[in-house]
Amino acid sequence: MSELELTLDDVRRGMIPAHIYNDREIFELEKERLFGRSWQFVAHESEVPQSGDYVVRRVLEDSFIISRDDQGEVRAMFNMCLHRGMQVCRAEMGNATHFRCPYHGWSYRNDGRLVGLPFHREAYGGEAGFSRKGQTLLPSPSLGTYNGMIFISLDPEAPPLDEFLGDFAFYLDYYTKQSPSGIELRGPQRWRIKANWKIGAENFAGDMYHTPQTHMSVVEIGLFREPKAERRKDGSTYWAGKGGGTTYKLPEGTFEERLRYVGYPDAMIDRMRATWSADQCAVVGDSGFMISAASLFPNLSFVHNWPRVEDSDDVLPFISIRSWQPISENETEVVSWFAVDKEAPEDFKAKSYKAYLMCFGSTGMFEQDDVENWVSLTSTAAGSMARRLRLNSRMGMLADGSAVVEPLSGDEFAGPGVAHVGYGEYNQRHLLDEWANHLERPVTKSAGVEFGATKVEVGS
Amino acid sequence: MTSAYIPIDSRRSPLGGHASATERAGRSLPFADERHLLAHQWVVDEAYLLDQQDYESWLDLLTEDIHYYMPIKVTTALGAGFDTAPGMAHFDENKYSLSRRVARFATEHAWTEDPPSRLRHFVTNIRTFATDDADELVVDSAVLLFRSRGDVREHALISAGREDLLRRTDDGWLLARRHIAIDESVIRMQNLAIFL
Repeated sequence: MSELELTLDDVRRGMIPAHIYNDREIFELEKERLFGRSWQFVAHESEVPQSGDYVVRRVLEDSFIISRDDQGEVRAMFNMCLHRGMQVCRAEMGNATHFRCPYHGWSYRNDGRLVGLPFHREAYGGEAGFSRKGQTLLPSPSLGTYNGMIFISLDPEAPPLDEFLGDFAFYLDYYTKQSPSGIELRGPQRWRIKANWKIGAENFAGDMYHTPQTHMSVVEIGLFREPKAERRKDGSTYWAGKGGGTTYKLPEGTFEERLRYVGYPDAMIDRMRATWSADQCAVVGDSGFMISAASLFPNLSFVHNWPRVEDSDDVLPFISIRSWQPISENETEVVSWFAVDKEAPEDFKAKSYKAYLMCFGSTGMFEQDDVENWVSLTSTAAGSMARRLRLNSRMGMLADGSAVVEPLSGDEFAGPGVAHVGYGEYNQRHLLDEWANHLERPVTKSAGVEFGATKVEVGS
Repeated sequence: MTSAYIPIDSRRSPLGGHASATERAGRSLPFADERHLLAHQWVVDEAYLLDQQDYESWLDLLTEDIHYYMPIKVTTALGAGFDTAPGMAHFDENKYSLSRRVARFATEHAWTEDPPSRLRHFVTNIRTFATDDADELVVDSAVLLFRSRGDVREHALISAGREDLLRRTDDGWLLARRHIAIDESVIRMQNLAIFL
């Protein structure tokens, strides 16, 4: 067995070789075999509402312009001039009809079409020498949307986004479709942490166990109402399709009462009732679980929480979406958006935004302590001792692999996938199993892309 | 003449409605002006409080209607008319939320600052402006924050410009509004468990 096979084997047993959180070779493999073909969230349609609006987003080192063209269609185009490779857009956001390369002046419509090529006739002999017609900035090899969320994949053979999401889409709706209009995104806040990207994804996927310890301070200051955060062990974790998350157990009550308990106003609750499927409503109303954090493989996470934002007993829910963008094996750019239902009352939107700022993001009081842990873990994982230590990630499993607690039945948990009550590292294991599946599978080389040149038959 | 400078405006925040709208009037005051001298001393004294993480004393220097606001800087084309992310910020604070942040540091479980960071706020380029209200001054400054944690990590820096509104009250001069123009669109610091 190769060293990689041994590592992946250990990971699949739930015994994680600690060095995978800070290992250059592993990171090179991740770039090629994982990020080279996974679906990556880059923007939400609400970030480019008008024709000509654009944002520039990266997938690792690749920069993409996400723009809404004059026909209203959203495009994802590789931000590199076809001529000499200069970035054609050097802003992060704005509105433009064209992107003009500052180097030699080639210009492209906001749908990517090459429309301006200085001295086309004199320099290239016109269309005969350089066929300008039909040339565009390289489109993202794959593009898909779900509830207005724009995903791209560098793999032209990527499975359709819906197929990839699978049953996780059921849970995605709680975060991104609380009304027919869906969400609007603000931000993102971006900051870099000296931590491996996998740690945040694992934490959001299923780590209910850290809440009472890591986040003790936010309970002590009254930001978080759930007593001592101990409520977490009464919650459940679920894994469905390519993602999974955590929930809180809600006090007894109806669908409406339980949503009121976490701070939603009645008008929003009515829209949720009308928008969600019977099963989606039943997870809240019958099973009594409220979604909290979640991760979609490989590096997109969600959080829904309900802190106090004023000196009162009222709580206010907020939603954040974040991508853990890898910079290297030991550095991650956190790209964190605040999300809110488009149809929510303005006053709710303002307070929900406040709730987000107080809890998560660059200044959030929950997140501050998370990152401290993850940075420390990452730096410790760099050494040779970390190559010996296997971290035990088997919570919820006995030595023979049988379950500490049985999965919830359909009567106890109305959502798809497999759910368990209480602490367990089921989801972290699911996430790393997917990771191992990608890392062991070599990629086929993508064909090069040429343009403009007409093939000349040699010797004819 | 064009300028790349776009002022920060509390009214562009969803939470800035309560903020004072007082603006600077005229040119900066001469450095020998008593109002400048007192403002200069105020921001220097405050920097020492922040370095020492004496946040309870710092909180006492803030008015009840403070708007403490650091929008997200974004790179935009010259002439775009904006250089911050609409409707979003890093800090968008009132007295209550700042008091929760300070209260958290006072618990024994704010792990990100235990052990504490070593902080140094370098404050410079201070200039003071009168306003239409004799009891209010606008103060510009530049701040460079050096933060060091532990022994193996590299330090982190934040560079920002600040525009403060100082107000004379029965408790002395207090900070009534702070606009922080951070100089990076992507922050190179693990979190903002600090104040600028």
